[in-house]
Amino acid sequence: MSEHLQFLAQREQIDILIGKGYRIQSVKEHLNGATVEFFDAEGNQQETLLVGNANARKYLSSLLVKQNQLST
Amino acid sequence: MADLRINLAGIESPNPFWLASAPPTNSGYQVQRAFEAGWGGAVWKTLGDPILNVTSRFAGISFNGQRVAGFNNIELITDRPLDVNLKEIYETKKKFPNHAVIASLMVEPQQEKWHEIVKRVEDVGVDGLELNFGCPHGMAERGMGSASGQVPALVERQTYWVKEVAKTPVIVKLTPNITDITATAEAAANGGADAISMINTINSLMGVDLDTWNPIPHVAGKGAHGGYCGPAVKPIALNMVADCARHPQINIPISGIGGISNWRDAVEFMLMGATGVQVCTAAMHHGFRIVEDMIEGLNHYLDSKGIVSVSEIIGKSVPKYSDWGDLDLNYNIAARINTDVCINCNKCYIACEDTSHQCIERLTDSTGKSYLKVREEDCVGCNLCSIVCPVDGAIDMIELPRELPPMTWNERQAVLNAAACKVDISK
Repeated sequence: MSEHLQFLAQREQIDILIGKGYRIQSVKEHLNGATVEFFDAEGNQQETLLVGNANARKYLSSLLVKQNQLST
Repeated sequence: MADLRINLAGIESPNPFWLASAPPTNSGYQVQRAFEAGWGGAVWKTLGDPILNVTSRFAGISFNGQRVAGFNNIELITDRPLDVNLKEIYETKKKFPNHAVIASLMVEPQQEKWHEIVKRVEDVGVDGLELNFGCPHGMAERGMGSASGQVPALVERQTYWVKEVAKTPVIVKLTPNITDITATAEAAANGGADAISMINTINSLMGVDLDTWNPIPHVAGKGAHGGYCGPAVKPIALNMVADCARHPQINIPISGIGGISNWRDAVEFMLMGATGVQVCTAAMHHGFRIVEDMIEGLNHYLDSKGIVSVSEIIGKSVPKYSDWGDLDLNYNIAARINTDVCINCNKCYIACEDTSHQCIERLTDSTGKSYLKVREEDCVGCNLCSIVCPVDGAIDMIELPRELPPMTWNERQAVLNAAACKVDISK
């Protein structure tokens, strides 16, 4: 799969969770990219994604910046 | 016609083009001919205890037909008695009172040595002093030149000794043969320097003769490292000038040196913070009269921009030069091949396929004609294809519509840290 297709697939995974009202709870960076924990609005449901694609990690970071701006 | 005059730490000259301290400024005959050709200033070949030189002394690198793309020398400072140089400096200054004559100096790191030579050269009317803490060969083995210039404490102390007696502005010339030139630049400023100049030459061995196995250049079959300069070193010099120009603790003017070969190079150095420039290799390659093109080109450039004084451009690009962490991660460009200009040489395809991101496709149109096309979604905007392309205008790097707001690495890290995210290096 091309890098771009990887990006689209990982971005879609992220967008699905964000679309369901999940928020980024934590980002744990490691040699394979970033493991991202999402929690739903009530904090009951947790989902975890491994985001390895570089553009997807940029996208995720931009979402985190936006989320941080909205919450402050 | 724009005003080309500059004032570097109190040293005035009719234009920003000075000859650097080197073989072209070895004698009054040469410097006077240079001034007649149009050079605004000259830094006299370094004065000190007269040395003995070897032959041969120079070597050049040609690259793809360009002669003197790089240049190396193992010549030392002046080999002429100080009194002879001083007499010629006096005569030159008398004949060209409005041109800048700067004496480059190098003595052993002793206070009384510096005091003596400073007083003697100032007595003949120089406009300023340049302390040679940069020469990388020969003199460095005797504790002078870059041997001093690589130790910030020595730079500061010797600058201070000079400033104790100097009545004219003191420029400290720095060596690039150091990890971080801002450390020695800051030391010079702390020592009281009125300005800094950079870069001196870079340690180098030009080559090895494949038949004789001698180093190039060689002296009776033996070689020693020399100082590298010329067009090839310009990017290194420009970065060092810019790094000093943007350093918050270095607030003195900069005289830019390093591969400056034409007016465009000079403008780049001035935009990145140099008040003026010094030239050597280009003059050694083409003669003193290249300054005519430099002056004319600079004038046209300034006129085309509506700029009335060259001083207006000093440092204008410095705010644009930052750290990698402050660059926008979400800014995107992509290559676009203009098929009407492209000659289908496939250089871009090979470069991208073999060494970059495999995003150029070889296709065939309905008439059977082959063409190249970039898959923009996979292009990382690295510029490689446009760099290797032999045809101007065949590949453009296009700014892509912004999909995400600007975000730098530093901003990203700040948010990650604020969110108490963890960086796990254990895996």
